[in-house]
Amino acid sequence: MDEHHRRNQIFSIIAVACLFLFLLSMHLYADDYQIRILNNIALFIILAVSYNLINGVTGQFSLEPNAFVAIGAYTSALLTLTPAEKQMAFIIEPIIWPLSVIHVPFFLSLIAAGVVTAFFGFLMGFPVFRVRGDYLAIVTLGFGEVVRVVANNTQTITNGPLGLKGLANYTNLWWSWGIAAFTVFYIARLVRSSYGMAMKAVKYDEAAAESIGINAFKHKMLAFTTSAFFEGIGGGLLAHLITTISPTLFTFFLTFNLLIMIVAGGLGSITGSVIAAVVITWGGEALRVVEEPIRLGFIEIPGIPGMRMVLFSLILVLVMIFARQGLMGTREFTWNGLFRKIRAWTHRTAKES
Amino acid sequence: MEFFTVRNLTMKFGGLVAVNDFDITLKKGEIVGLIGPNGAGKTTVFNMIAGYYAPTSGTIHFQGKLLNGKKANEITRSGVARTFQNIRLFTELTVVENVMIAYHCRLRSTFLGAALRLPLYRREEKQMYEGAMEFLREVELEDLSREQAGSLPYGMQRRLEIARALATGPQLLLLDEPAAGMNPNETQDLLQLILRLREKYRLTVFLIEHDMKFVMQLCERIQVLDYGTTIASGTPEEIQQNERVIEAYLGEG
Repeated sequence: MDEHHRRNQIFSIIAVACLFLFLLSMHLYADDYQIRILNNIALFIILAVSYNLINGVTGQFSLEPNAFVAIGAYTSALLTLTPAEKQMAFIIEPIIWPLSVIHVPFFLSLIAAGVVTAFFGFLMGFPVFRVRGDYLAIVTLGFGEVVRVVANNTQTITNGPLGLKGLANYTNLWWSWGIAAFTVFYIARLVRSSYGMAMKAVKYDEAAAESIGINAFKHKMLAFTTSAFFEGIGGGLLAHLITTISPTLFTFFLTFNLLIMIVAGGLGSITGSVIAAVVITWGGEALRVVEEPIRLGFIEIPGIPGMRMVLFSLILVLVMIFARQGLMGTREFTWNGLFRKIRAWTHRTAKES
Repeated sequence: MEFFTVRNLTMKFGGLVAVNDFDITLKKGEIVGLIGPNGAGKTTVFNMIAGYYAPTSGTIHFQGKLLNGKKANEITRSGVARTFQNIRLFTELTVVENVMIAYHCRLRSTFLGAALRLPLYRREEKQMYEGAMEFLREVELEDLSREQAGSLPYGMQRRLEIARALATGPQLLLLDEPAAGMNPNETQDLLQLILRLREKYRLTVFLIEHDMKFVMQLCERIQVLDYGTTIASGTPEEIQQNERVIEAYLGEG
């Protein structure tokens, strides 16, 4: 079907190699702050791309990623803490058995985080997909709050409001970017497969999808559970990046950030989600300057905390006015598309000269 | 065993009886028409057969199996495909993708196998593509396979919707006003197409249509609905002579 298959494969390998070299140089020469930002970017790529699968590709507008990230973060954290550390941390009430004795390597804890979160997503899917549209958004928003409140109150499992502290800082560039690359690769392939097409069919017209034998509920569940799996792994990475987790970390604000990313990137476009995750995470840091005091020669403007958020809101409003479909719409980056663009561009400049 | 039987099918929306005691039996290979004035309940009958509405009472049997209570996607997979009165294509996907999706319900690859492109999935994807192109050739749209479905003119969209329904592998095809909005030439082509498809895929066709010339030429039997009730059924000649049918369409003289 595609005559450029070989060429594209080679370019993909080169692109991955470039990313690797970039990370290696950052690993060797960048300071802690820059590495922290790079880790954040990878983390938000994972979260945004997997959130986009259910919201953008399958078109089921839901607001639960904070719940999934929380479940993943707690699962992973409880598994990597040693029994002695857990005994120390749970000062109000002791942690329940078997959590008190289990201790697994980081990688296994991430897999467990994914599986446990996917399982919760699966259970949650049965009630929430009885409704559609705005109702789905509200129900899933409620679930997000429920998880946070439960985390706050199950003292013997999550250590309640005290949270879990002193997690090992396992999440480095290789873990975060390795998993980000895998997430993008897997979800892109999924979307291109016939399961992905069926998910899109459910988004465009559920009745028509059913008329050609597509079980809409099943495909929503597949998208939701897959999304939960990756959000859970992202949660595990997050826990071992910031090394301290507590229920206040997983408020709706997290979901809101991800929502901005997938909408600005273009609902349904993986490329868009990736670009938006990079730009918004990096931009959020770069924009810190607007919160610092500014000296304009004769007057001095004091720093206004929260100014970044005002700017972000403005940018979002502008996106909504001038690019309703987001940055990419539902288009994706492809090598063929890129080469077509380059050819068209060289053609044009050759004509002009 | 009867091929397709509907008995005492009734649909009430609150106090309104949309369809009342509807009966029909289709033999394999027949082309049967369902006609009646606007609001007679024709599309409601289709929606009940295809699993979009749960009938208030009555039974639908297809090849000995009871269809009521099944979901729309299950009914399609058991061999009953439909098209819609207001065309419902996936307008943002390409023409060939619209037909390929219809194969998805018969895919044997698992969710993981498809995403990881295991050999079985690659083979199946090739079959999907080739099969879809085959159906596009059938409805003369193969040259437009890469176009966006929504960009096609109306008549072609109708044909594409038929190709998509066929790709689910049906034995009974429900067509809801297939000739609506077509000019006389297109209508004639459609008539030939339906006859050809019936032969080739051994289909049974049950259709709703307002174009009387089309219905009378194409259908072997016709059933007439008015206010949810069957007022006549028979061959096209019998229907044309029927007093009650003329009355329903033209009013009392």
